Amino acid sequence: MASETIRLERRRRLFDGREGAQKRFVFAVMSPALIFMAVFMVLPIVWAFALSFFDFSPRRTGSPILGLGADNPFVGLEHYRQMTDFSSDATLNVRQFHTAVKVTLLFAFLVVPLNLLITLPLAAMIESVRDRVRPLFRTIFFLPVLASSVGVAIIWSFILHPQNGLLNGLITKITGRTTIVAWLDNPDLVYFGIPVALLMVIAAYLWQDIGYNMVIFIAALQAIPRSVTDAARVDGASAWQIFRHITLPLLRPTILLASILTMISAFQVFDLFQVMTEGRPDDQTLAMSLNIYRNAFRYQQMGWAAAMSVVLFLIVFVISIAQARLLRTRWEY
Amino acid sequence: MRFGRFGLARWPIAIFALMMLAAACTFGEGASDDGGDGGTGGPVELTIWAHRSPSFNAAIRDSARAYEAEHPGVTITLETFGYDEYIQTLQTALPAGNAPDLIHMFGTWACTYTDFLRPVPEDVISLADAQERFYPGPLGGYTCDDTLYGLPQESNVEYGATLVNTQMADAAGTSTEGWASWDDLIADAQKLTVIQDGAMVRAGYHFTAGDGLAHSFLSLILQAGGSYLNEDGTAFTFNTPEGQEALGLLKRMADVPVIDPVLFNDDENWVGECYFTELCAMGLVGPWAVADYAPDYAQVAQNTVYVKLPPLEDSEAFVADSGWGMTVSTDSANPDVAWDFAAYATLDADAASQWNLTSATLPALVENAAGATRDELIASFPHFQTWFDVLPNAQFVGQLPDRDKLYYEIIYNNGLEALRGDVTIEQALQAIETEANETFG
Repeated sequence: MASETIRLERRRRLFDGREGAQKRFVFAVMSPALIFMAVFMVLPIVWAFALSFFDFSPRRTGSPILGLGADNPFVGLEHYRQMTDFSSDATLNVRQFHTAVKVTLLFAFLVVPLNLLITLPLAAMIESVRDRVRPLFRTIFFLPVLASSVGVAIIWSFILHPQNGLLNGLITKITGRTTIVAWLDNPDLVYFGIPVALLMVIAAYLWQDIGYNMVIFIAALQAIPRSVTDAARVDGASAWQIFRHITLPLLRPTILLASILTMISAFQVFDLFQVMTEGRPDDQTLAMSLNIYRNAFRYQQMGWAAAMSVVLFLIVFVISIAQARLLRTRWEY
Repeated sequence: MRFGRFGLARWPIAIFALMMLAAACTFGEGASDDGGDGGTGGPVELTIWAHRSPSFNAAIRDSARAYEAEHPGVTITLETFGYDEYIQTLQTALPAGNAPDLIHMFGTWACTYTDFLRPVPEDVISLADAQERFYPGPLGGYTCDDTLYGLPQESNVEYGATLVNTQMADAAGTSTEGWASWDDLIADAQKLTVIQDGAMVRAGYHFTAGDGLAHSFLSLILQAGGSYLNEDGTAFTFNTPEGQEALGLLKRMADVPVIDPVLFNDDENWVGECYFTELCAMGLVGPWAVADYAPDYAQVAQNTVYVKLPPLEDSEAFVADSGWGMTVSTDSANPDVAWDFAAYATLDADAASQWNLTSATLPALVENAAGATRDELIASFPHFQTWFDVLPNAQFVGQLPDRDKLYYEIIYNNGLEALRGDVTIEQALQAIETEANETFG
């Protein structure tokens, strides 16, 4: 009886009176966004998570309930168990999964520091030039961000083409010897354990992506109070000392934001890999997103692909949390 | 503003639950087994899906218009998709029960979708009759466990003949007529290969693209007298003396070299592009490539002939991958009319020939590879001459559990490793066999 009264009271508070009207308004304005998120974000995530427990292929009918079961049998944690098979007898799928994890981690952990090492000094340099030319530099460096990734990949593929590429043409001109190097296809081109094909994809990615972080850093630099740097200058600090001991620490929250955003996008890069290398040579550029796409849509192993996408989600999640903790600050300016 | 313990969270949860329920209720809906109203004589609207290709789409439209003219109550609408998008659309639409009446499908896909396709009715054509009328190569793709699930319109061949640039061949004094043996072909290819400062700037014979390598390897196994599938088709057998002979021959070509697999492969200098930009003197690719590239490279196309490849161990057999054709989905509300149109487009010799003329493809019907129809096709596409000669040697590649994975991941990657000398032939064959057998699940 008491619980019924409480329920009715909750219902009255939800729909009646001023508070009820506010709630109805909030619900009305939030509904489109909530429905959008539910349909295009939550539902696919839940579906992918569910699929990872089934040997699901769209080629098979399955049971009437969402096509799961019957010819698309429940396999529980089998996909995840297979992923932990590091023996030499592991299947091609499993070996490719391991390769893809390695490639993706290598790509992401090279891209993030390289990106920050380029964009932060670049932003500082652009901020130090005269006001009249500053917008010009900002525009030049931001333009690649506006280009389509597929277009960027095609242009870089042309540059790196063995016979007709600009790079080999330039080397041939300089050395006077016909130079034909398959930058994207020679598996023997490996420096310090990093395949050159992967380095070339990284170069293309950085070329396109640096403008984005650069704009973030420029905004952060502009937000640093001038009084702080002026005081340091009065105290006799050099430009480098100001950058090292004042600007850099004050930019820490921005560095955190930029590194998390770059890390997440680096884990999800697909188009550059797909267009430039398709995972070749010898799977040296087989990124996780590419491997997931291939298994899901080319080989129609949706269950296996879903399990890999869950792992990718977990990796990004854990690394983002770790980054947030490492670079967290407890102050604001 | 504060909300109760569940407050607003209850609404999104309710919406989400409703959506899940709706999705569950709609999944698989629409798979109808009734005969529809096709037989009642009322107006019938059919929809056909196809991948986007100007020549193929024009050919399908022409067939549809011709059929509509003979059947005034029937309207056929063609809907097209980009190739990759088409594959994904089929994967989602077929299980969801949202497929159209007719699906223009590649033969090797048909057996993976049998749950969603209608078998060809006996009154349209029986399997035995179909085997009489169609080449085994294209028909094999649509035959699943002795049941026919579609009717082919073209013979898709990637092996049997090679593109030869006659200008380069004349300059090098090499054959444009054919070769008695692989030794002769390799000798000519070597003369056509150009190496500068240690780098190959022109390949003599390009066969190291995904399709070229897989078709060469499988065809040479057949010609060596072997088989890549066991007797009941339940396992692959690549690590055999015939497999060694086939891969050994391909490796010899890379060793000579007439091809550098690092510089000429699927990604870099794909065979069609390589040939028509004159970076390759000879290239292994099907006749469709000429139709695709000729408009942009008219001069090269003029200097192009197809020359029959030499036999290995006196056998000229080679594998073929079925071809595009018509299937009817289980979602069709008018399956009788859909099959009537499919039969018209594929079994009517005149309509089928017109389809091949418009789409620049080789016929699937045996009768269209002879007589006046053959002459008409050769008059339009002179390079078909060689293909008509080799077409009877084409054998269906067989029901492979995952054809794309076998070709483009397993044979291609391991084959290239062997050709580059990164692994031995035995190691490559063992890897191909192990990985290929994993695709049986």
